Amino acid sequence: MDDETLNLYVEESREHLEDVEAELLAIEEGGENIDEDIVNKVFRAAHSIKGGAGFMGLSNIKELSHKMENVLGMIRDREMVPNPENINILLMASDALRDLINNVSQSNDMDVSDHIQALVMLAEGSMNAEEKQTVSTDVDIARDDGRVIFSLPRYDIETAKKGGRHIYLAEFDLIHDVELKGKNPLEFINELEKGVMILESKVDIESAGLLSDKEISGCLPFFALIAAIVESDIIGSLIGLGDDNIREMGEDMALRPLGDKATEPEPEPAPNFESEPVPEPGSEPVPEPEPEPDSEPEPESESEPEPKKKDKPGKNPPGKPARSATSTAETSLRVNVSVLDALMNLAGELVLGRNQLLQATAADDFSGIKTAGQHLDLITSDLQDAVMQTRMQPIGNVFNKFPRVVRDMSRDLGKDMELILKGKAVELDKTIIEGISDPLTHLVRNSADHGIEMSEIRKAAGKSPTGKIILNAYHEGGQVNIEISDDGKGLDGEKLAAMALKKGLIDSDQVSMMSEKEKTGLIFLPGFSTAEKVTDVSGRGVGMDVVKTNLDKLGGQVDIDSEVGKGTTIKIKLPLTLAIIPSQIISLQKERYAIPQVNMEELIRVPADKVKERIEVVGDASVVRLRGKLLPLVRLADLLDVERTYADDSGHTQGTDRREMIADRRSLHSDIRETGSEHHADNIHENERSGTDRRYHSRSAMNIVVLSTGVMKYGLIVDELHDSEEIVIKPLGRHLKACKGYSGATIMGDGRVALILDVAGLASMARFSSVDKTSRADTLAQQEIEKGSDLQSLLTFYSSGEEQFCVSLGLVERIEKIKRSDIENLGGKKVIQYRGSSLPLFSIDQVADVRPIKDQEDLLVIVFLLGGREVGLLATGPVDAMDVSVEFDEGTLKQTGIMGSAIIKGNTTMMVDIYGLIQTLNPDWFEARKAVETSEGNVATILYSEDSKFFRTQVKQFMEEEGYTVIDAEDGEVAWERLQEHEKEIGLVVTDIEMPNLDGYGLASRIKGDSRFSHLTVIALTTLASEEEVKKGKACGIDDYQVKLDKEKLLSSIYAHLKG
Amino acid sequence: MDSSGQMELATFYVGEALYGMNILKVQEINKLMDSTSVPQAPEYVRGILNLRGQIVTVLDLKRKLGLEYAEISPLSRNIVVQLRGEYFGFLVDSIGDVVRVDLDKVEDAPANIGGVQGDFFDGVFKTEKALIGILNIEESLKMKT
Repeated sequence: MDDETLNLYVEESREHLEDVEAELLAIEEGGENIDEDIVNKVFRAAHSIKGGAGFMGLSNIKELSHKMENVLGMIRDREMVPNPENINILLMASDALRDLINNVSQSNDMDVSDHIQALVMLAEGSMNAEEKQTVSTDVDIARDDGRVIFSLPRYDIETAKKGGRHIYLAEFDLIHDVELKGKNPLEFINELEKGVMILESKVDIESAGLLSDKEISGCLPFFALIAAIVESDIIGSLIGLGDDNIREMGEDMALRPLGDKATEPEPEPAPNFESEPVPEPGSEPVPEPEPEPDSEPEPESESEPEPKKKDKPGKNPPGKPARSATSTAETSLRVNVSVLDALMNLAGELVLGRNQLLQATAADDFSGIKTAGQHLDLITSDLQDAVMQTRMQPIGNVFNKFPRVVRDMSRDLGKDMELILKGKAVELDKTIIEGISDPLTHLVRNSADHGIEMSEIRKAAGKSPTGKIILNAYHEGGQVNIEISDDGKGLDGEKLAAMALKKGLIDSDQVSMMSEKEKTGLIFLPGFSTAEKVTDVSGRGVGMDVVKTNLDKLGGQVDIDSEVGKGTTIKIKLPLTLAIIPSQIISLQKERYAIPQVNMEELIRVPADKVKERIEVVGDASVVRLRGKLLPLVRLADLLDVERTYADDSGHTQGTDRREMIADRRSLHSDIRETGSEHHADNIHENERSGTDRRYHSRSAMNIVVLSTGVMKYGLIVDELHDSEEIVIKPLGRHLKACKGYSGATIMGDGRVALILDVAGLASMARFSSVDKTSRADTLAQQEIEKGSDLQSLLTFYSSGEEQFCVSLGLVERIEKIKRSDIENLGGKKVIQYRGSSLPLFSIDQVADVRPIKDQEDLLVIVFLLGGREVGLLATGPVDAMDVSVEFDEGTLKQTGIMGSAIIKGNTTMMVDIYGLIQTLNPDWFEARKAVETSEGNVATILYSEDSKFFRTQVKQFMEEEGYTVIDAEDGEVAWERLQEHEKEIGLVVTDIEMPNLDGYGLASRIKGDSRFSHLTVIALTTLASEEEVKKGKACGIDDYQVKLDKEKLLSSIYAHLKG
Repeated sequence: MDSSGQMELATFYVGEALYGMNILKVQEINKLMDSTSVPQAPEYVRGILNLRGQIVTVLDLKRKLGLEYAEISPLSRNIVVQLRGEYFGFLVDSIGDVVRVDLDKVEDAPANIGGVQGDFFDGVFKTEKALIGILNIEESLKMKT
């Protein structure tokens, strides 16, 4: 037994023993009221320890745990009442067991007979005479040839048979049944125990051969005496063993081959199992997996509609959870013998090649050396291919687990889906196969969960009710492409952009510059989830970015194509192998760098005289026009912060390049001068800028490598382009891990090291990546998760030009530009003519103690609708609308007309209380509306749930001023508690949507789902409600949406709902 | 360290100071000075080297110890050590003798040896001619934050 398995066993056993003490004490405390769950737990712990011990040949541990198991079994079956005495014996036994486990190597020499004796006495004490008899009678379990394998008390067998179990003796072969299937022995036993109960087990080292007496050498028999409920015809498939190797125990305790009906009345003659091997285990008794009713036959020859369960039908019998073949990390690999032979041949040729070379060198035969070199070159390539082949595995290994995933999901989600697998035979390096499994699973789940719509929706959209997910692998240009496509609802780039904007992951400037494809690529941003509902199936907002990171690690690229309503295709490009990759070699400052070709689109050389024409400057970024499209450019020298150089056309001369903008070109003259002192050169530089045509004699061409990160392309300006080479990736040391620009290093032909550039890393260093995981995006996503706090949509503006103010954007009707001279002063009040009527105007300084409005001709009017009429608030620019997550301070700056303050974009900003303002100036504008009373004549009580203290105070105040009694709560959970406490009083619920612990949707669903409260009106408050949110809210039972701080509307809604 | 309580030190000069490290930790000493520079790397990283297929990160020991940058001379050498499966080269100004030291004569390092913090040393050993600071390799390879 190898050490690793033993260690695993010890570790597992320790875990089992960890809680045993506490559980035994609990059993003792329970006394006659036996808690079967706890007893079972201890029982199982002892049982598992016993199972492994038998396997490991740890006889003392096996014996002791077995005896413990017996006693526990009796407690469980209520044949023994737990009392301090017997529990004490068990406790001492468990201590002894722990000692044995902790000294596992000496365990067989340790004396535990006292404990065993005590346990046996205990067990016998509560047995009747007949049972006692069975304990002392041993039954010998013998092989067909009469050799005794196990000898165990009849009592154990009788006990195991209780409940109609059958007893079987199974002979496994550790080499064929366990090792070669990539399992480790402990895992194998655990798996076996899921289906059956193991009474005894041991590895039979002395014996060789099978029960059927077919002499096969090189096997290591492992015998297990098992008890199982299943009949003899299924047992083989349950434990994954041919019927030949199983014997059933009859009533007389003798073993018979399976199907031998000696103990059964059926008259059919028993087939001769010795000479005629039983067909594939489980092939007929196990029912074929239920055929999917909606899967139509695929016309394409290559495609395979699922379900397809041709391979190893006996491996997933009913009741036994399927285990994916790749779940354990494989440490050994099956290699085709022909590949090995080829390797051997090549190794032979290599030796010959070396001999040739040595001879030629010794003889100074130059042409001989050349020939030998060519020969070696060929052998090396062949050898490389052959070695690679040993690592190649079909992608079907990964694909094959998806039919089940999709089937399970289609059941869970109630969607009609089918999965089509294509190109299962495509081979990839095993490291890639292992690494691709998780990202692919995620993508398939995403397609099933978010992509495919429910059947009704599909029908309504004129699509086939059955959603289709296609996994396709194929070769293309020395790479492997894997496509995951679905014909679902597709991704809406605009929606994604809006969402990313709302979450603060990107800003509006970035959005305006993004192409549709880049917008779709936003789903790779961290903290981005498009699922409206977080399901347990997929998506907690940490999905796609992890997929991308994982694929990046494999040197792969992801590309999304999506059309709204048509479906989504995600294309993954993978290198065939990770070890050796084709790369483009470039140089900068005479230092060479390698760029993986998988990231490279093309090479461009802009001749010196075209530089000015082709390179343009947009903002502070340089771009090149490439087939009508603009490609952002960046100098590698700038990214790596090394001194820029340029090469002249001949590629021989280099000098320091001081061009500020990429489009600038240099003159021959300045070259010479600039080699002078720094200061001097800069002066000349400045002078020449203002001078005449200094760009006359340009002679530096520009070499651009067009790179793609999958979601965006950019051009990297390098000094020189060299050949493309196959390079071997070597990892960088830990001191260099922090450098984002490199993914590793490689050794060039001349023995020098070259760095491998990380294309995505460089893009993020250049900051023009639209899906850069900026620290800002990360922090925002983090904050969002931590606080669950709401984003508030605010409009900021100025009045005096110095103090910044804001109002809730939801209150604003519109903003108008006016001239100060147009303002009329009538009866001490300011108005302006607007669309045929007079719009009353106010300024904040009329009420609040702030600086007066700036004296300028151009003014802004922010128009609000209050109490059914429009009012204008005078303001000055700049105005800005933004979504921010801030806490308002309602103490420091609060006064009439000002609700509170917060720091927004570094400025203290006062939140204007527009109601307070108008009410102070025109108290008669707001008609008195009486608070609605309950039938008993009390004012109605409103439950108000809101996590932000600022809003809680403000809105509560509104409602209380109106005359309502308000019970507030800081989140949905608290609100739910309050609701229970004040069940009788509460007449209406007002709730925020985004709250920690339980959000507004959850609260509404709970209220509507409870018969006590389902009649209550739920009004949701948001800063800005999108259509989608309203729909979602309606589905949860939210009756009305109101904008936070829109006092008038909220109060009339409350009024209307309480009245009605 | 052998049973006799002795240890052999490979000694080397960084500036004027004489340092040593357990010779058993040294993989090799070479004079490969043509390393590939790594832009954006920490300032004490001199570059990376190919040592028979292994990438070696060459550290400017002088700079790493908090002194000025080392200057390459014909006497400069890389002392290659291996730590947790990774190869490192310490760039030193020159190589000294192998010195056998009695472990019980090794004293605790003072807080400061010639402007270098004592943390970098396991101890000091006095010979007739000089004081050898015994370099703590683990500490010297720590990343600066």
